[in-house]
Amino acid sequence: MSSSVAVKADSPRMPRMYNLVAELTYRCPLRCVYCSNPLDYAGTRERLDGARWGDLFDEAAALGALHVGLTGGEPTLHPDLVEIVSRAAEANLYSHLITAGTTLDRDGLATLRAAGLRSVQLSFQDADVAGSEQIAGVDVFEKKLDFARNVRALGLPLCVNVVIHRENIERVPELIDLARRLDAHRLELANTQYYGWALANRAALLPSRDQLARAARVVEVARREHRTPEIVYVLADYHAGRPKPCMGGWGQRICVVAPDGHVLPCHAAASLPDLEFWSVEQRSLAECWLDAPGMNAFRGDAWLAEPCRSCPERVRDFGGCRCQAFALTGDASATDPACDLSPHHQVVVDARNEANTPPLVYRGTG
Amino acid sequence: MSESLNESSIENSGENSGDDRPPWSASEFEARLRQIGVERYHDHHPFNQRMHEGTLSRQQIQTWVCNRYYYQTRIPIKDALIIAKARDPQFRREWVRRIHDHDGVEQGDGGLELWLVLADAVGLHRDEVANFDRVLPGVRRACDAYVEFVEGHDLLESVASSLTEMFAGNIMKVRIAAFERHYPWVTVDGLRYFQSRTTQAPRDAAWGLAYVIEHATNRSDQERCTRALTRKCEILWSLLDAVEAAHARPSLSVHAQLRRAEPGRDATVVLPERAVELNATGAEILELCDGDRTALDIAEELRKRHADSDRVWNDAHAFLDEMERLGVLTA
Repeated sequence: MSSSVAVKADSPRMPRMYNLVAELTYRCPLRCVYCSNPLDYAGTRERLDGARWGDLFDEAAALGALHVGLTGGEPTLHPDLVEIVSRAAEANLYSHLITAGTTLDRDGLATLRAAGLRSVQLSFQDADVAGSEQIAGVDVFEKKLDFARNVRALGLPLCVNVVIHRENIERVPELIDLARRLDAHRLELANTQYYGWALANRAALLPSRDQLARAARVVEVARREHRTPEIVYVLADYHAGRPKPCMGGWGQRICVVAPDGHVLPCHAAASLPDLEFWSVEQRSLAECWLDAPGMNAFRGDAWLAEPCRSCPERVRDFGGCRCQAFALTGDASATDPACDLSPHHQVVVDARNEANTPPLVYRGTG
Repeated sequence: MSESLNESSIENSGENSGDDRPPWSASEFEARLRQIGVERYHDHHPFNQRMHEGTLSRQQIQTWVCNRYYYQTRIPIKDALIIAKARDPQFRREWVRRIHDHDGVEQGDGGLELWLVLADAVGLHRDEVANFDRVLPGVRRACDAYVEFVEGHDLLESVASSLTEMFAGNIMKVRIAAFERHYPWVTVDGLRYFQSRTTQAPRDAAWGLAYVIEHATNRSDQERCTRALTRKCEILWSLLDAVEAAHARPSLSVHAQLRRAEPGRDATVVLPERAVELNATGAEILELCDGDRTALDIAEELRKRHADSDRVWNDAHAFLDEMERLGVLTA
C-alpha cells in the first residue's frame, strides 16, 4: 500500500477499486443485536435486478476490482442470485458469498457453485444453540452447521466470521474448535463495531479489557498450535488506543453498492448527514465511485484536522472511522474518538467503564 | 516480490500486575521446565522423526546438515553474549567452556569443526557449508532470532533459553543409532559431533538448570524462564519447518485465481480474502510450482536463470514461504 503523504489538497490520489461490496438486499431472517444494516433499513427495498448487478460487475472489473462480496442483509434472498453469481464469474471477479447460512440448501449452494461462486463466508453468533439464539433472536445454529458442511462438501473454501462481544468472548476457544471441526480455512473474530444497532446495545456488548486480553492469548496459542484455520482477531478499537484503518481509507479500495443502488465508501456511510452519494440508477459506477461529492469528502488526507493532520500515523489509520466519529462527536470530520489522541476520547473511556448489563434491543423485522 | 492486500490483524495482550502468587517449589519448577521439552522439543518435529525412522533422502540429510551448521555457528555467539551479561567470575568460567566446546581451544578442534567433518561425511563440500551460501532464509531467521532473543533478555532468561540442552543428550543417542542403522553411507567419522554432545549437553544442562532454579525465586521470574525455554523450542521447531519446506513440492491452491499480465501488473493471485500482486520474478516462480518440483528445485532453477544468483536463490525461498503462509501455495 503506498502512502498518501505527497498528495496535494486539490488532487486526491487516484483510488483503485479492489473490492466491490454488493449489498444485494437488506432483508434478513436474523435480528442480530449488532446488525450493521442502517437503523432505518426497513424502508429500503432492493432496486437492482440480476442484469443490472451484472453490468455493475463489468464496470467494477474495468475499474480494477478483483473481488466481489455478495452480502446484505442476507444476499441469498435476492431472487436473481444465480444470475448475479454467474455474471460475477463472467466479469472475472472472485465472488465471495457472505451469508448467515439459514436460507440455502445443498442444491441451492451447488447451483451457485456451478454458476461460478468461489468462496463462502458464514457467520456464527456463538459456539452453541443457546448463545446463538440469544444474539440472533431466532434459532439458527443447527442450520448453520449443515450449511457449513455443505460448503466444504462442495469443495468451496469456508471462512467463519463471528462478531465478538461480552456475551460470547469467553467462548473463543470453543469458536476456534468449531471452525476447525467445520474445516474452515479462516476464522475471523471481529470485535463488535459500535455504531448502528450495536451502539444502541453498546453497554451490554462491550467486553472488559481482561476478557479481551484472555481472548487474545487464546488466539495466540491456537495460532501456534495449528496453522489452520488462519485466525484473524480484529481488536476492539474501543480498547486499542488507536483507531482502525477503516475500509483501508475512505473511497480508496472498497466500493459498496447498497440495495437501493447508492454507491458508498462503507456500508454505514449513508448514516452521515449532508453527504451526497450518487446512485447507479442515474449514473455509471465509475462516476458514482470517482466523482460523487460524498465519495470525495474524506478521500486522501487533505481534509484531516488536528490532531490527525500532523500525526505520523495518519498514513496507517486515515484518522479512523468517519461513522464512529460522527456517532460519538456529531462531527464526521473529527478524529475517531477511539484514538487516545482525540479530544473526545473520554467518550470511549466512559463507555469502557460502564459496567451495567441492560437488556438487549432486538432489531425489528422489516 | 509481492504486496499483500486487505490484511487486518491486530494483537493485544495483557499481563498481570501486582503479582502476589507464591513461587513454584524447586521440584515443580523443574517439572514444568521438563514438561516444555516433552511437549515442544524438536525431537517431535516430523522432520526429526523421519530422520530417526530412516526415511529421509540423502538430499534431505544434506539440506539439514548444511542449514543446521548456521545454527551451530550462532551458539558460541549467543554464549559470548551470555558471558557478557554475567557479573560473577565463576559463572563466566563455567560458561566459557561452552565456547571452547564449540569453537575448540585451538584451530581444528571443537564442535564446529566436527560439524564440518559431518558435512564432508554426507557428501557436501565443507567450504560451501562454511560460507552459508545455501542457508535457507527461514533457517537464518530462526537462528538470528535466537541470538536476538539472548541480546534482548537478561541473564536469567538467556540461561533458561539454553536449557533445551536438557533434552539434547537423549536425542543425540537416538540420532547416532538412527544414522548407524539407516544411513550407512554416512561415514562413522561424521558422527563424532553427536557423540561429543552426549556428554557435553547433560553436563551443561545440569549446571544451567541449577542456576535457573537458584536464581528464579519468585513466580514471575519462574514464568519468564518457562517462556524463554518455550520460545527457544519454537525457534528450533521453525528451523526444521524451513528445512522441511525446502523439500515440499508447492502448487497453486485450488482456491487461488491466477490472473496474468493485466495493465501495470505482471500477475495477481486472488484468494477468498486477499489478493497478492506479483512482479515478473514472482510470476515466474509461481509458474514453476507444479506440485512436482521441490522448493529447492525451483530456487535452483531461478539461480540458473538470473544474474544475481545467490540473492535470487534466497528470495525464491523467502517468496515460496510467504506464498504458502498467505495460502497462495499449498505444499
